[in-house]
Amino acid sequence: MKVFKTVSLTAVCLVMGIIVAWQYRSVKMNQVLAQYEKKSVSEIIEELLAEKNNNENLKQRLQELQREVDTFKSGEMDVKENIEALEQQVLAARIKAGLETVKGAGLIITIEAGGLKTVEDRHIEELINELKASDVQAISVNDERIVAMSEIRKAGDYIMVNGNQLVPPYTIKAIGHADNMERSLKLLGGVLEKFQIYEFKTSIKKEENIVIPAVREEYIKIDRLTPVQ
Amino acid sequence: MNRGIRAMTFLSFFIFGLLINLQFKGTIMAKPKNGTTAKELAEQLEHEKSENAKLMEQLANLEVERDMLWKNIGNTLNNQQINELLKKKDYEYFRAGLTSVSGSGIVITMEDAPAKGELDIEDYIIHDNNINDILDELKANGAQAISVNGERVVLNTRPVCAGPTIIVNGNRYPPPYIIQAIGDPDILYDAIENMPQVALMRLTNIRVDVEKQEEIIINKYRMYSALENSLKGLEVVK
Repeated sequence: MKVFKTVSLTAVCLVMGIIVAWQYRSVKMNQVLAQYEKKSVSEIIEELLAEKNNNENLKQRLQELQREVDTFKSGEMDVKENIEALEQQVLAARIKAGLETVKGAGLIITIEAGGLKTVEDRHIEELINELKASDVQAISVNDERIVAMSEIRKAGDYIMVNGNQLVPPYTIKAIGHADNMERSLKLLGGVLEKFQIYEFKTSIKKEENIVIPAVREEYIKIDRLTPVQ
Repeated sequence: MNRGIRAMTFLSFFIFGLLINLQFKGTIMAKPKNGTTAKELAEQLEHEKSENAKLMEQLANLEVERDMLWKNIGNTLNNQQINELLKKKDYEYFRAGLTSVSGSGIVITMEDAPAKGELDIEDYIIHDNNINDILDELKANGAQAISVNGERVVLNTRPVCAGPTIIVNGNRYPPPYIIQAIGDPDILYDAIENMPQVALMRLTNIRVDVEKQEEIIINKYRMYSALENSLKGLEVVK
């Protein structure tokens, strides 16, 4: 009898333990899933597709890298190839940072002075933020290259970009998908509609060969940054 | 003694029953809500996300391995040119936001108001403009690296608020929205604290906490494919 009791008590405790663990897991999973409750199915699908696309690209990138590593290991790569590959990477990073003058297709937008109010820093900022929303690759204002940490400030009736004073008319060049950029600028209630209300004289034209100059080397400041890893 | 055991057995069965009941209820209740598809999709999404994290890690490891191999080649061949190019590559990656960095600066935490008051609902939630204004202000005050919910701010980073979430560099994040910036902590702190937009948000109980920090780590810009792919429309002019 005593043996039976011990056995049954052990069994009960065991089952209970399993159930507690199970419950804990399902609560945790539900917590993770709860963040999606507020979202619509279409939103989740959109996110899922984006994530799948990212993963596809990642897998491809992994294969590319693996091939590179394998060539290294087999020792088949010659010095000249190595140097070329490295130079290419250096150049790509410099383009990304805005340190190279670049050419490409895109939009040229001009805003002239003489509307109902002065063209201010925030107007230019708003326009540029709109361009950033579509996948723009290079931007400049009056040939002053916009980089990741570029600032646009007010300076009396004019604006300051990257610490340089600029005067109207403001010419904004953007290399990227011209149609997409134009569409996002012309959205209902968008930037251009606002500019119309202020009566800014604005023009947009698409061009094949837009040249955007590099940012000054010393403009990209890194003295407060320490690389990690 | 017998009593003690009996009491214990009773207690354990009582809890046992309660648990089964809870579990059962939970399973039953979860099903009809929202249909199974949304939950299944959410589960798939979670799966893709963890897959993504795994792939990112593999990629990081491979990159380290490749750079090591490169260094070895430079050393064994004693090739000055390769060694110098490697150094240059690290430096340019660092400047382009393609390396994680640390430094002192500020952290801003933002969250929608907990409850709607008598004003328009729009006044109680955070909008794209609020976030972009803050980013512009940080840049204007000498920030050298910025991230939004862990996503590095690069040229074409433009956070977009979508419902109760934010999309940064193509990835979606739930609140709170966390902006990290490396720069002079005092200058950045004062600049953000003095923004009229921040005062306005606080009036309607939108949370905007600004905090100076000695050591902030800002992630590198995450790339899902080769860097060259993102520069396809550009041709270098010498």
